[in-house]
Amino acid sequence: MLDKKRIRLMARTAIYEKEHAEEDVKISTYYKKDYASLNTWITLIWVTVGYVLLVGIFLLCTADSIMEGLTIVKLILLAAIALGFYLVLLILYGIGAGNFYRKKHGRAKHRVKRYYRELSRLEKMYKKEKNRP
Amino acid sequence: MSNLLVLRERLRKLYAAYSVYILKVLQFLLGLVLFGVINSNVGFMKMASSVFCTIGLAVICTFFPMIVMVLAAAALILVHFYALSMPIAAVSLVIFLIMYIFYFRFTPGKAWLIIISALAFALKVPFVVPVIFGLMGTPVWVVPAACGTIAYYMVHFVKASSAALQGAGGESMYESLMSFTRQVLISREMWLMVLTMVIGTLVVNAVRTRSVDHAWKVASAAGAVACVVISAAGNVVLNLNYPYVIIVVSAVLGLLIGLFLEVMFFSVDYSRTEHIQFEDDEYYYYVKAVPKIVVSVPEKRVKHITGQQRKEGGEPEPEAEKGGKPAKDAERVSGKSEGTDANKDRTTDEILLTRSLSKELGLDQEGEKTE
Repeated sequence: MLDKKRIRLMARTAIYEKEHAEEDVKISTYYKKDYASLNTWITLIWVTVGYVLLVGIFLLCTADSIMEGLTIVKLILLAAIALGFYLVLLILYGIGAGNFYRKKHGRAKHRVKRYYRELSRLEKMYKKEKNRP
Repeated sequence: MSNLLVLRERLRKLYAAYSVYILKVLQFLLGLVLFGVINSNVGFMKMASSVFCTIGLAVICTFFPMIVMVLAAAALILVHFYALSMPIAAVSLVIFLIMYIFYFRFTPGKAWLIIISALAFALKVPFVVPVIFGLMGTPVWVVPAACGTIAYYMVHFVKASSAALQGAGGESMYESLMSFTRQVLISREMWLMVLTMVIGTLVVNAVRTRSVDHAWKVASAAGAVACVVISAAGNVVLNLNYPYVIIVVSAVLGLLIGLFLEVMFFSVDYSRTEHIQFEDDEYYYYVKAVPKIVVSVPEKRVKHITGQQRKEGGEPEPEAEKGGKPAKDAERVSGKSEGTDANKDRTTDEILLTRSLSKELGLDQEGEKTE
């Protein structure tokens, strides 16, 4: 006999398995703090790479004007400005990425919890049907 | 107006029934236009710019998520640039990488917006993008809009100076690389357009999210006006030659698309607005409730006065064929015995499943309402 509630549950769990399950289960193996800090560090490394590329491109197109009348003081000033921008970028992305990954972990954990709850409900339904005379 | 709303309902039903196919067809068309535009503008590698490659890529990308189309487009551009000049391909790769690192790592699902933005520029309708993004998205959508603009101008610069770049060798190659990088980073027209897109999108989004009456219409108009004013003023101040026809026509088109989107996604009846005030222990609430306009699609019913025509002809009547549901009704009335025979063949499980699903989806209630 087909059970409407069971079909609904199975459909919902199947959709979840198709869409998010793999990533969510992987995320939920971490503690929130660990997951957020690990990904924030990865983001900061990427930002560093991106910043180096950005500075490289900037230097490529303004090399002539920078090299004209370059002094030690000017060089130090430029390096300080570049470092300042880098730190600002790092702080902004660090805070932003931390929040982003904490929220992501929270959502994933919530979905995984619901998924396991639905699986246990399904199991109960099967047991109930099995015990039916 | 009511005709438009009926059309909307019909489109909704059509989309609900065939969403998988509709999405795939749209994805294929988008791929076809995108790869076609890339190949027609910067098709420096003959093998990659052939029609077979364009269609093949579009077909392949149809069966994958949108991010694959974005990657394929970026790869195709880089391949063409590489055929022209290796350093330019390297600079372009770096620019694409910067876009990925600073934004698309976080939301790869939204990367396809960059395609829309770049295509709008290529098709000479840039200012439909701020209106669409502002109405349908969030303020963060300014990032893909800006990235799309930069990607378009990158291709545009290479196309414009392809002859000079092609024969470059040694020192001249270094100079051309410098000039290309300079063009991309210091182009006043590009940054003006980026600014216009960003401000236009933010204006549309800010107005759209207000609780004023006709917010969507006002937002579309405000966005279109903001785009025209900023780009025209920039054109004058920076001595640029961006065509005013494109500015005005694309803004008007943006406005029209905004009105169309309002009908499709936000049709409410402001004449029946309710202003409610209440309170609890902590707050006073001033609530504005605007009812949605709900229109039911009129269904054509074909009534068979005599059943003889059907028996004689042996085929269903053409009138009955026009509307899908009435034809079914007619069959139900005239051929009840056939229906019962067919029902016998169906298993009890199937019938129960159909009933329970239709009850759950509310199809049986809709049927009752129409009756």
